Amino acid sequence: MEYGLKPLGRERFWLLLLLAPTLIGLIFGAFGSILATIILSFMKWDLLTPPTWAGIENYIALFTNEKFNTALTNTIKFSAMYVPGVVIISMFVAILLNRKIKGVTVFRTIYFLPCVTSAVATALIWNMIYGKDTGILNYVIQHLGGQSICWLCTDKAMMSVVIVNIWGAIGEGMIIFLAGLTAIPREYYEATKVDGANEIQQFFRITIPLVTPSIFFMTLIATINAFQAYDYIYMLTRRSQGDSSVPVVVFSIYRNAWNFFNYGGASAQAIELAIIVIVLMGIYFWMEKRFVVYE
Amino acid sequence: MKKIILLTVIISSILLTACANNKSNEPVTISYMVWGAPEELEVWQTIVDEFQVANPNIKVNVEVSDWDTYWTKLKTLLAANTPPDVFAMDAPLYLDYQSRGVLLNLQPYIDKTSGFLDGFYPVTLEAYKLSDGYYGMPRDFQTIVLFYNKDMFDAAGVAYPTADWTYDDLRAAAKDLTIDIDGDGTIDQYGFSADLWDMELVWSEAIWSWGGEVINADHTKTLIGEPAAREAWQYFYDLMFVDKSMPDANTTGQYGGDLFQAGKVAMTSIGHWAVPGYATVDFKWDVAPMPTSPTGGRATSVNSAGFVVAKESKYPDAAWEFVKYCLSETGQKRLTELGLAIPVLESVANSPVFLNQSMVDINQQVFLDSLAFAKMKPVVKGYDEWAAAIGDGMAPIWLGEAELNPTLDEVVPAADAVLEANK
Repeated sequence: MEYGLKPLGRERFWLLLLLAPTLIGLIFGAFGSILATIILSFMKWDLLTPPTWAGIENYIALFTNEKFNTALTNTIKFSAMYVPGVVIISMFVAILLNRKIKGVTVFRTIYFLPCVTSAVATALIWNMIYGKDTGILNYVIQHLGGQSICWLCTDKAMMSVVIVNIWGAIGEGMIIFLAGLTAIPREYYEATKVDGANEIQQFFRITIPLVTPSIFFMTLIATINAFQAYDYIYMLTRRSQGDSSVPVVVFSIYRNAWNFFNYGGASAQAIELAIIVIVLMGIYFWMEKRFVVYE
Repeated sequence: MKKIILLTVIISSILLTACANNKSNEPVTISYMVWGAPEELEVWQTIVDEFQVANPNIKVNVEVSDWDTYWTKLKTLLAANTPPDVFAMDAPLYLDYQSRGVLLNLQPYIDKTSGFLDGFYPVTLEAYKLSDGYYGMPRDFQTIVLFYNKDMFDAAGVAYPTADWTYDDLRAAAKDLTIDIDGDGTIDQYGFSADLWDMELVWSEAIWSWGGEVINADHTKTLIGEPAAREAWQYFYDLMFVDKSMPDANTTGQYGGDLFQAGKVAMTSIGHWAVPGYATVDFKWDVAPMPTSPTGGRATSVNSAGFVVAKESKYPDAAWEFVKYCLSETGQKRLTELGLAIPVLESVANSPVFLNQSMVDINQQVFLDSLAFAKMKPVVKGYDEWAAAIGDGMAPIWLGEAELNPTLDEVVPAADAVLEANK
């Protein structure tokens, strides 16, 4: 498939010139860092003395590093709950807000608000909601006759942070799904209505197939975000000195690099995380070919 | 284009000669980096301004960052070979930097300044002293003492802590001060609370007073699982889970900050750095020395923050002048005004500048008297990782998710493995 017009002659020069700032930033910023991380993952480096070659030592250490494996398990569990949660809920919200109802812009703004609010500030609010003895949520539960729940205790903390992360990402997902939904031509609905299809049939036969590109894109974004999730988790589950009751891989990378003088090990962890994401992306793109409908 | 090249050549040659011709009377600029709250910058700036009056040829650029940012920034600058000339050091982390060769040996400078070390509290120097000299100088120090909320003691009719208190007295008082005020089955006021993650705030003190040790002399063995130490751990376990006079980590977590400052707990043990924050509360409080153990031992922890000079510094002489000034009586007095720590010079600590701080009326002498039985917070290579192995490892106990002794049996070898890896 080809899009748009091909730049010709002088246009090509201007095109490159205008893209240069971004491209140079990408080459040195992103690709440079990726390359440096790959090289450092084969080195032993404490940041203060020159790095020495370590071969695959850092990678072997990953298998025996209990803390890293706990973190990796947590990241995978987190992603397994977060990704479907975000995709389904934000699609649902987008469908609800894709109609002519009064004050639809207000609702859309409200759902988008968490995306533009500081994660640290909102996490503090969530802390007040989740508190065991002082929290708003338990206050409500108790008044309804229920028992207080320790939302941020180790057994529930994972679920609680997943909820906050989903809540924080609905806005972004909603925008993506709204774009997908508004692109569906109204004629399809009108034509099927004439043919006698009800709303449920329309939803499964028209809406879902035609938003599959959005579902695909959102799943991709959500997966990447899930593997990088840090701010809400940190604010809600942190303990002293960078420890957390739900330590995810990002915690482990940060602590190894900056607290434990183990930059090489941290790089290896980052690379392993990247490989997992790349493999998942591969699977997604394979699925895209089979299930995603482009008009 | 040719003009630009020419201009670059001229400018760079000027810059290069400026570097090469630096004699003592040429003006130089050094950088100084320290952790702290934004308002601390003001005090540092005052010190720098006063220093510059005495040394007009040395300009000092001060940069203050919060604790986490400070260490990340410092390591990045060191890795890039552009470290600040002078920077702040936390004593337990000193060896991690010194052993990696990024610090300048200050011994030659100390030797040139006769009697320089005379006025220091000796215990504060201990942390920085190595076989070939000092690679750092203490700037101020902390002893851990018992803080108590007078209003809560008065309300419960409990006598204030005294210098003769034992840990049993503390336990009894904590029990009396633990109250469910509104009778809803949830405790609203706890007797005692202190951070159990880091050793400095309470558990190293307790282990020492029970006659135990935290680490052996050559830093190869973690001793927190020895019998005496286990008694100290058991004490906090009982406070938390038998008496319930000390909140567990889940309860502490929901308050986010300091429970003593929040008026939720009657007693805590912490250092002088907490004083400016506590000075803003609307209840009366004071301090008492740490109690003695049932076995009769008494101990507290002493830890210092200090100055180090980067080995790569272009102006080590100027850097030393600045360090020397901050450690002079004038510099120390200014630093004491911050109210965050105890000055390392005995003369300043025993002067009204420290003892009669206007911010709060408490018995400051307790902090100085505690030195008599204070032990140095261990300075260990790989400190952060070792402390994390212990702090993270013990955390499930304080969350009520693990038993004390089996957890200790796992934590000790894990901590020893870190010591081995950082040798």
